[in-house]
Amino acid sequence: MNIEIAGLTRRFGRNQAVAGVDLEAGPGVFGLLGPNGAGKTSLLRMMATVLPPSSGRLRLLDRDPGRYGPRREIRRRLGYLPQNLGYYPSFTVVEFVEYFALLKEMPAARVPAAVAAAVERADLGDKAKAKLRTLSGGMLRRVGIAQAIVNEPDLLLLDEPTAGLDPEQRVAFRSLLRDLGQRATVVVSTHLVEDVGAACTEVALMNQGKIVFYGTPEQLTARGEGHGVGDAPLERGYSAVLTQARS
Amino acid sequence: MMQRPGWDTAPPDVDLRGVWTAVAAQVWRRRPGPAERLAARLLRSPGLARALVTTPSLLLGWVIASVAVLAAGAAATLETGTPYVALLAPAFAAAGIAYAYGPGIDPAWDLSQSMAVSHRMVLLVRALAVFALNAAFGLAATAASVLAGSGTAAAVTFGWLIPMTAVCALALAAATLARSANVGVVAGMAGWGIAVLAGGATAGRFPVLTDSALILPCLAFAACCALIAFYATRSPRGTS
Repeated sequence: MNIEIAGLTRRFGRNQAVAGVDLEAGPGVFGLLGPNGAGKTSLLRMMATVLPPSSGRLRLLDRDPGRYGPRREIRRRLGYLPQNLGYYPSFTVVEFVEYFALLKEMPAARVPAAVAAAVERADLGDKAKAKLRTLSGGMLRRVGIAQAIVNEPDLLLLDEPTAGLDPEQRVAFRSLLRDLGQRATVVVSTHLVEDVGAACTEVALMNQGKIVFYGTPEQLTARGEGHGVGDAPLERGYSAVLTQARS
Repeated sequence: MMQRPGWDTAPPDVDLRGVWTAVAAQVWRRRPGPAERLAARLLRSPGLARALVTTPSLLLGWVIASVAVLAAGAAATLETGTPYVALLAPAFAAAGIAYAYGPGIDPAWDLSQSMAVSHRMVLLVRALAVFALNAAFGLAATAASVLAGSGTAAAVTFGWLIPMTAVCALALAAATLARSANVGVVAGMAGWGIAVLAGGATAGRFPVLTDSALILPCLAFAACCALIAFYATRSPRGTS
């Protein structure tokens, strides 16, 4: 298992952002759904080794991220796209992706080819030499995706990756996700249920820091039968589970 | 994600994607400058070297501004006899340190927390580089004063290099604890201002710039501040 989580919690003062999550995931595309403030981003940041847990057990890629050596090895094999991607306005697309390839300690000789491949996969070849300050929000999101996949990660964590992408790009991105999920564990945090239905093999739904549903998209859809709220079957399942969790 | 036109029609034994990527890699390849190549060799880490040469307060504009301000201070010192260089320089160095690293200064700071290259190492090499640059300025000023026969070399050492170390360490600790470069600048300048003004008020001169007895207290203070910064940037403890 690439992700092993048991009883994981995270507090911010009095606020319990993550309240005892249990989760295991191997290769495949894993969707993390939930309303705003459900704890998705905090959970993802703990998996990205950015945020230490308050309590519980967390193992990534069969390693303990609480120790320096294993954490460094995890980070070499990790791809992470944060919800709010900061960027250097004067960097070009290639310079930005290369910067993070180097910070991931990729062998320097491999970096140019890896950067070119990541930029092409993110459909940014025509903008490779463009300064980041000249790009649109959707293009910047794709730059973030390119830096996340540049090291061909075994664990890829994407926080709202399709925000700002147009419909055509979202379709292409889901195809990329399915491709990456062949060998890596891809965790996609989103509130867009159609992304989950099209690309994910498993899905967890979070509410108030807890996982209130875990299963396949088809199982989530089945939970919505006879439930009136939502335009699409998966949305009805999402809404039915949340309604039940809140009652 | 990207499928360029014509790739589907290529013969099965021709890897057009691979060829395209190899060509793109050569065309787009960035050539590191001499400073980055040297840093990569010394630090044994191309990532750390890249992080070093992107230090905001080591960019050419900042260095030119530093030289201009200190040159103006030196001219004013020669003209009036008041030690403007020694008064200005530690505060200027503190600003350089505070703007070397951190959230709000590094736009991608949050993302860099998940990288294999330790962010503490990035902080340390950048701080060291800013110190080194300011020390080089100090040595240049010392050499210039010796050549001019003014005998202010000791004043430069006591009035710049030693206080600079203490004030920079204070700025570094405050910026790291508060996670804000602006707080670091304010703390560094406030600390320096208090030291200068307090000395001026009690002795009618600037003992902090000239009194060699203050070397050890200054260095001890700097060590404490450095320890605080070291503690504040310790690795997050996960649980397992």
